Amino acid sequence: MPGRTGQCLCGAVHYSAEWVRDEVGACHCGQCRRWAGGPFLPVATKGVHFEGEENLGRYRSSDWAERGFCKKCGSSLFYRRLDSDAYMMSAGCLDDQSGLEFARQVFIDEKPDWYDFAQKTETYTGADFFARNPQRKGGES
Amino acid sequence: MTMTGRCLCGAVRFEADGVPHEVGACHCDMCRRWTGGPNFAVEAEAVRFEGAQNIGRYCSSAWAERGFCKVCGANLFYRLIDTGRYFLAPGTFDDQSGFKMTTEVFIDEKPGYYTFADETSKMTGAEVFAKYAPKQDG
Repeated sequence: MPGRTGQCLCGAVHYSAEWVRDEVGACHCGQCRRWAGGPFLPVATKGVHFEGEENLGRYRSSDWAERGFCKKCGSSLFYRRLDSDAYMMSAGCLDDQSGLEFARQVFIDEKPDWYDFAQKTETYTGADFFARNPQRKGGES
Repeated sequence: MTMTGRCLCGAVRFEADGVPHEVGACHCDMCRRWTGGPNFAVEAEAVRFEGAQNIGRYCSSAWAERGFCKVCGANLFYRLIDTGRYFLAPGTFDDQSGFKMTTEVFIDEKPGYYTFADETSKMTGAEVFAKYAPKQDG
């Protein structure tokens, strides 16, 4: 699949990446909502190359994952498992968002009532998620 | 009623008064670059921050700034500079049970891959500027 590019709001961090799939997911967990202000909408990528990496902040949100943001403008850029080079990049930071399909929603049991997506997607509860990822426990993502 | 909230890591906490429980979503390109998806917001009459030294502020236009936690990167608020009004991220509130999404703005900039099922009033970017101010770019 061809590479795509993206950047934060202020342009201090740019990146190029290779798409794993043309799919967007949504995570409704409490941590993602604290971080992004609402559900987190990621696209799975690999081979990410950053420009302006000195402006990239990284926060360890659990034992197995970190979240990246621009230290200048605060844009929420990615979620990444520490044992993987698969970056889950925020869909909104991609320069070209055409052709993306909304495919799945996770932690659907933590979704608050104040929004609902209209798309029919696969949905997984937090328990489903941890059953598939037993190394991650404690209810944190 | 005073409501409380915090960023993901807890370095920034807030108390907000006069929060009407009505959530707006902005689909503009700038908001989506910033939060990674639509930017959700609830307007507050007054906000008091704890850990204010951990708040980063970025002026995204001549009339507005966006606040975030410098430690964890959480998106905290959009603020109009001339009025000082804060529009807080609903996801940072400790109790979100009474919130309801009622408006969507810059609906003409919404990408195709998501749509909300909620019944809301919708405005294009041009309608927003015509209603609120003779300004360009959010």
